[in-house]
Amino acid sequence: MTLSPKMRTRMTVFWMLLPTFLILIGFYLFPTLYNLELSFSDITLLKLKKGGDFVGTTNYTEFLTSSSFRDIAINTVFWLTAISVSVRIVLGLLFALLLNSKFLKSMRLTTIARLMLLVPWATPPVVAVIAWRWLFDPTYGPINSWLISSGLISDPIAFTANLATVWPAIITIIVWNTTPLIGVSLLAALQTIPEDLNEAAAIDGANRWQQFRFITLPYLMPTISVLTLMSVIWTFNNFVYVWLTTGAGPGTFTNVLATEVYMKAFIDLRIGYSAAIGVSMAVVMAFFGAMYFRYFGLTEMQDKVG
Amino acid sequence: MMKTRSTNALANGIENGALLVAFAVFAVFLLGPAFYVFKGSFENLSVSLISSDGGWTLQNYVSLFQSGYFIYVVNSLVVCITATVLACTISLFCAYCLSRFRFKGRGFVFAAIMGGQFFPWIILVNPIFIVFARTGLINSQIGLILCYTAFITPFTIYLMVGYLTTIPKSLDEAAIVDGASRFTVVTKIILPIMWPGMVAAGTFGFLQSWSEYLLALALITDNAKKTIPLGLYQYFGDVQVDWGAVMAGSVVATVPTLLLFLPLQRKLVSGLTAGATK
Repeated sequence: MTLSPKMRTRMTVFWMLLPTFLILIGFYLFPTLYNLELSFSDITLLKLKKGGDFVGTTNYTEFLTSSSFRDIAINTVFWLTAISVSVRIVLGLLFALLLNSKFLKSMRLTTIARLMLLVPWATPPVVAVIAWRWLFDPTYGPINSWLISSGLISDPIAFTANLATVWPAIITIIVWNTTPLIGVSLLAALQTIPEDLNEAAAIDGANRWQQFRFITLPYLMPTISVLTLMSVIWTFNNFVYVWLTTGAGPGTFTNVLATEVYMKAFIDLRIGYSAAIGVSMAVVMAFFGAMYFRYFGLTEMQDKVG
Repeated sequence: MMKTRSTNALANGIENGALLVAFAVFAVFLLGPAFYVFKGSFENLSVSLISSDGGWTLQNYVSLFQSGYFIYVVNSLVVCITATVLACTISLFCAYCLSRFRFKGRGFVFAAIMGGQFFPWIILVNPIFIVFARTGLINSQIGLILCYTAFITPFTIYLMVGYLTTIPKSLDEAAIVDGASRFTVVTKIILPIMWPGMVAAGTFGFLQSWSEYLLALALITDNAKKTIPLGLYQYFGDVQVDWGAVMAGSVVATVPTLLLFLPLQRKLVSGLTAGATK
């Protein structure tokens, strides 16, 4: 049997795409839909074989009206996402501006700075948490021993167990690990700003702040928005930093949506309930995802290949 | 006149000094934690808090590997390398089709690839766990490899599509006219040209899976199957942390990523924010 060239090409495309389709369906589409189904059932890890019974929206109403919902939502939205993303954008911007300043450029510090940024960037999150837990450690940690030897405090502070310091501690770890990406991206964007724009503005009498406000910032805005949106999406459902730093503790003080999903499924063994939390998260994420697609995503990749 | 010039010079000096100080603060913040872990991994920490004798020792590394850390390193290498090779192979063919053909569902694949890069895996842990539990893939390296392959594929496809668009289509067409099949074109003509792009995508995929924690935590409980991120946390005992082992283990976990990251950095940034800066 011989196939026409057109059919042959079709067959080739089919076979070449098949593995990708299998992955997309098997590991993205199917689990998402299955998770949706689970969220309407009372399935637990103990009756996995039998499966759960349909319970309607019970899981959702239980979660949304539970006493812990408010705290979890605030922790996730305010601390984990809003604060940590803002801090890393601001710090990344400051660092990029610093490296782009005439004086530091003339000192040829940019290459060294790139290497410096590489260290936290390449550090796996697990190790980032370990490094800071060591720095924060009340008995061995360097931070406590500096503070004590400089006379600022008399007793060591357990930074990751103290209610006043635990969120700042977690955010410090996230910021340390993720700011380099922001810094390097913004530096790359800064370097595309034509030099004569600022010179012309200076001749017209614009001061430094005005140059920053009306030239640099508008120029950086597209990069800042894409980085912000990306960071929000990555951080909102991040599990590893909170889990490894505090285990959602002390108590459930630093519990976020991602750790709640994990704990409900693998500690309380309530898979169905946990799935409902996951679906709620997915709805929020879908909103940000749609924003990303709308402004940056799809158009860019399709523009590239036509 | 002289006076304003000297005050200007002074102001400049102060400003430059401030910039240097700011740079130093950033340097300490960025490098400090890694430095302390590196330093700690060569110190004798495990005895008691006062007895730190200040000497350098390899004891942490020796006892780390004696306590079975080696198996985690091997597991991580096996899982991550296999997943990376699989993902790159799958991505090569997919990216080739996306860049060369128009077909039904092409828009869907694009959307899925962009979406897949940001997909919240925390949501997929439950369904994947159940499916794996029913098919016997819990505590299996095959299961973890499949997950990691799926996990890194969207970004490797994305990177490769970008690379493939720089390769002229006339190359493939010439070979097709000479009677080569599409499959031969990809493996014999495209692959050698885009090898640097493959290496970059592969490096990225490897790094992603190397530091993955959540899926490994949910799917692997058997100590003999654990990967480095899980293994490291073994040394955080319930009561006491074996800091010496943890530090040495952290250094072992980070050295490969640092070395791989170095050549990759620029490519990654241009890939991630290409849409915004064009």
